[in-house]
Amino acid sequence: MPELRPWLALIFRRKGRLTVGAGLLLGTLLSGIGLLALSGWFLTETALVGLLLATGIQAYINLYVPGGGIRFFAVSRTVFRYLERVYNHNTVLQLLTDIRVALFDRLAARPRTERSSRSGAQWLSRLTADVDALDTLYLRLIAPAALAAVVTLLLTAMAWLLFDGVVALILLAILSLSFLISTWLVYLRTCAASGQLSDQQESLRGELIEHLEGFAELTAAGRTGKHTARLMRRSVELSRDQARIDSRTGWHQAGSHLLINVAAVAALWLGFRLFQEGALSGPVLVLLPIALLGLAEVYAMLPDAFGKLGATRAAARRLNSDHGLERAATSPAGSAGELPEGFSLQACDITVGHAGYSPLLSHFTLTLRPGDTVGIVGVSGSGKSTLADTLAGLAEPCRGERHSLPCAYLTQATVVFEDTVKANLLLASPDAEDGDLWRVLELVELAERFAQEAEGLDTWLGSAGNRLSGGEARRLVLARVLLSRAPVVILDEPFTGVDEATRTRISPQISRWLQGRTVVCLGHGPDALLASDRILHLG
Amino acid sequence: MADPARSKIRAWLSGLARNSQRWITATVLAGVLAGLATIVQMVLLAWLIHQGVIEKTPVSELTPVFLALLAVLVIRSAGQGLQTRFAARCSEQVRRDARRQLHHHWKATGPVNLADTSAASLAREWLDHVEALHGYFARFLPQMTLSVVIPLAILVLVFWLDWLAGIFLVLSAPLIPLFMALVGMGADKLNQQHFETVSRLSGQFLDKVRGLTTLQLFGQTEAASRTLEVRSDQYRKITMKTLKVAFLSSAVLEFFASVAIAVLAIYIGFGLLGYIEFGPSDELTLFSGLLILLLAPEFFQPLRTLSQHYHDRAAALGAGAEILARLEQSVDNAEPIRPDNSISNQGIQISGVTLRYGEGPVIFDNLDIRIKAGQVIALTGPSGGGKSTLLHLLAGFIQPEAGAVSVFGEAPGNQPFGWLGQRGFWIQGTWADNLRLTTPDATDIAIDYALRQVGLGELVDSRAEGIHSRIAEDGLGLSGGQARRLSLARIFLADYPLILLDEPTAGLDATSEVFILEALHKLSESGKTLVFSTHHQALLTLADRVLIVNDGEVRDA
Repeated sequence: MPELRPWLALIFRRKGRLTVGAGLLLGTLLSGIGLLALSGWFLTETALVGLLLATGIQAYINLYVPGGGIRFFAVSRTVFRYLERVYNHNTVLQLLTDIRVALFDRLAARPRTERSSRSGAQWLSRLTADVDALDTLYLRLIAPAALAAVVTLLLTAMAWLLFDGVVALILLAILSLSFLISTWLVYLRTCAASGQLSDQQESLRGELIEHLEGFAELTAAGRTGKHTARLMRRSVELSRDQARIDSRTGWHQAGSHLLINVAAVAALWLGFRLFQEGALSGPVLVLLPIALLGLAEVYAMLPDAFGKLGATRAAARRLNSDHGLERAATSPAGSAGELPEGFSLQACDITVGHAGYSPLLSHFTLTLRPGDTVGIVGVSGSGKSTLADTLAGLAEPCRGERHSLPCAYLTQATVVFEDTVKANLLLASPDAEDGDLWRVLELVELAERFAQEAEGLDTWLGSAGNRLSGGEARRLVLARVLLSRAPVVILDEPFTGVDEATRTRISPQISRWLQGRTVVCLGHGPDALLASDRILHLG
Repeated sequence: MADPARSKIRAWLSGLARNSQRWITATVLAGVLAGLATIVQMVLLAWLIHQGVIEKTPVSELTPVFLALLAVLVIRSAGQGLQTRFAARCSEQVRRDARRQLHHHWKATGPVNLADTSAASLAREWLDHVEALHGYFARFLPQMTLSVVIPLAILVLVFWLDWLAGIFLVLSAPLIPLFMALVGMGADKLNQQHFETVSRLSGQFLDKVRGLTTLQLFGQTEAASRTLEVRSDQYRKITMKTLKVAFLSSAVLEFFASVAIAVLAIYIGFGLLGYIEFGPSDELTLFSGLLILLLAPEFFQPLRTLSQHYHDRAAALGAGAEILARLEQSVDNAEPIRPDNSISNQGIQISGVTLRYGEGPVIFDNLDIRIKAGQVIALTGPSGGGKSTLLHLLAGFIQPEAGAVSVFGEAPGNQPFGWLGQRGFWIQGTWADNLRLTTPDATDIAIDYALRQVGLGELVDSRAEGIHSRIAEDGLGLSGGQARRLSLARIFLADYPLILLDEPTAGLDATSEVFILEALHKLSESGKTLVFSTHHQALLTLADRVLIVNDGEVRDA
């Protein structure tokens, strides 16, 4: 299972915790078996001694050791169980944090072009569902399976010591079969279905999110009913598949349980022969079958975990699909290294476009000094936004070189985070004071808007900034870029959705604020730009 | 969202259970079969040991009983298998009903108010929270019955064997549900909190991923990663609080089960030795003593299983609380007021409409507008002036507090209409899939034609399979302008009499703008009624009538 390897490596970084956790689990299992087996031994011993005493024969029995043992196991089982659960769940949650953060970092290290605009919904499900699926790996699968094997071998060894080799071998055969049924066979029988199940669930989630995102259009068209019916149908199919997997897992569990009971009966039957030959005492004869009955509890967790292994693998596969793409992050901070003295932005004969497609724009050259303001006007398909990405250092030019002092870039997409106004602005300048924030809000005429709110700068912006109108959201992200002190400012369509009157008022204020810096402003027409020294037309 | 009372959630869950009672009963019956077989198994086992060890009966004479024991084991396993088989089906109907209720709620809430909650959170409720109900119906509810029936059967048998041992069990038994109830109550509350944390966390992550480019641009990805780590850690701590308490309930059970076994073992041992002078202990044999010992864990097993399923109950109650809170969320939309047909069934009429959001300021006060069928209306004015609100009103997405809106003589939204929001909408699938979303029976030719009308023809032609190629096959998807044009193509295809557009050209490149202008022109030529909000001069020129919407006032330009 190569897809699990990176995750196992991540998990086994916490070796210490895993070992302690497994130790506690073993303690729990052995205490449980010990309690019953010792009690069975004790009863048989007392029954035999009782018979002797009743017939008046002098007999001696040590009550203290078994009595103490029984009391010890009773307490240790409880204590081990509680500690094991708390400790191991804490471990699992720590592992989940490790995985969550590792995933985010990996994603953040990838260039933007490799993330489609819709990756959000899929990534959400990855974090919550796929990462959660990996938690079955250690606590529910690896540890119980390993310990079940250990306990089984211990009991077989006990059979060898107390009974004989033949009994031990027979028991080992029966128990191995039971182990196989509750692990590998369950996995084989559910692997395909369980793997598909999580894929189907994710695709249903994608469809559901699409349904919600297009809800206005679908409602207008009167199509929500049909679309809903389809979603319902798919969810019912999913329930059916889940039920099939559950049933299969259940039957394997029943089968494995049956074999454990058969092993206990076999131990008794074979033990009787040894007992009647005088090779075995009564109390020891009783000890083994009862200990074997306790094995059922050890095996009980396995089928369920192995029934989910297919899903876990599918989850790991989905998560791994980013690994191969890992690449160094493009640094938007700019590479001033080869920039000639006195210049702030230089693009030499660059060609922009998407890899594998014909270039959108070639032989573009631009050299700017501090204080220069340039406007770039381009029609659709002229590669305006790609050029902006390239100038800002977000995308690599296909050909040519680009050098720049650190730059602040307003992307075409308006990104407002589900957080406070303040947190949204502070991204640009983490140690800005409240006064600075109000000043940039003033610049885009949003200061009054938030001064009216009870919470002021701490006003929470709802899901995807929903409480802001399109124009307000645009002005907010514009204010964020203005807050940055970067010497180069690149603005792609700064006034999307901002009405003309507001635009006319704020545009000169912004130009004044940016005085002395290098400003590149891109738009679909001259009126969508800030006042510029010169205007370039693309295409 | 306010938390609905526990009793309400339970009432909602048992309402859902009604349709699945058949499966739940079957699950219980299979569980009882397995439980009774277990008791018989222990009886035979104890009897065999007694015969072999005490009575020294030769093994060959015991063979029939050994065979009977094997048969009982098979029956026990069959019961176990059937129990999971039936349990798997217990909540199918439940989940279907819960999802249907959510759909109804979404519909009643309308697209505008629904957009206040992220699609991911809503999807999580519909998918994951509804799934979380399964364990409650499949495992917890049947186990509730089993944890009464089977211990009772065992108790009767133990009393018959030795009433003093029976009393030991009786004494420990009633304490267990008591402790579990106490512990469970705390666990429930924490579990609910846990659910909310998870939901919030997933929203935060989605949000960060969506804005990852911005985070990269400001060099804040590391800070965001740290935030994520801190929040994950908070999540761990909150969850650990839940679990520390939740595990107490199983520890209590474990303790009682272990102590009861230990006490019984020592009592029976001393009884067999004849050390106990009172009670029924002088009648104890290895058979009865061993049987009591073997039955003791089985007495506690159903309760232990129940405590393992307790988190199913807590999860279902937590999930149920969120679902119910959503379902109970007040739907602002009053029933649309029936328009008076006698006035007009020709155009659009807004008469005496007063509107505000919740307790906020009044947006429109006693608004009157008449729009003739076939007219092109432009709404203009400063942002935040109420243009979008007016469009939502005409769409029937929101309902006025007073007054009435009539669209061609019917309530708004009664008949299909075209809607173009600020964000174009497309699904993962082919171009054809996307257009058939609203017009399922459209021909390929019509689809091709509609795409050409909005200037997407060239893009589609460049794909290997034309309209049957997937939109996102290059992994890039559509630009904002292209997505909006795709939505417009749907409107072309569907032939709606009324088309509402919210800033159709805002933020578009010149090409998209030209195509949209041309498309709108064609739509108006074909006699459709168009209403759009805009600041765009070319669009204002296209309009037959321009309305200025400012501060709740609407007047002709």
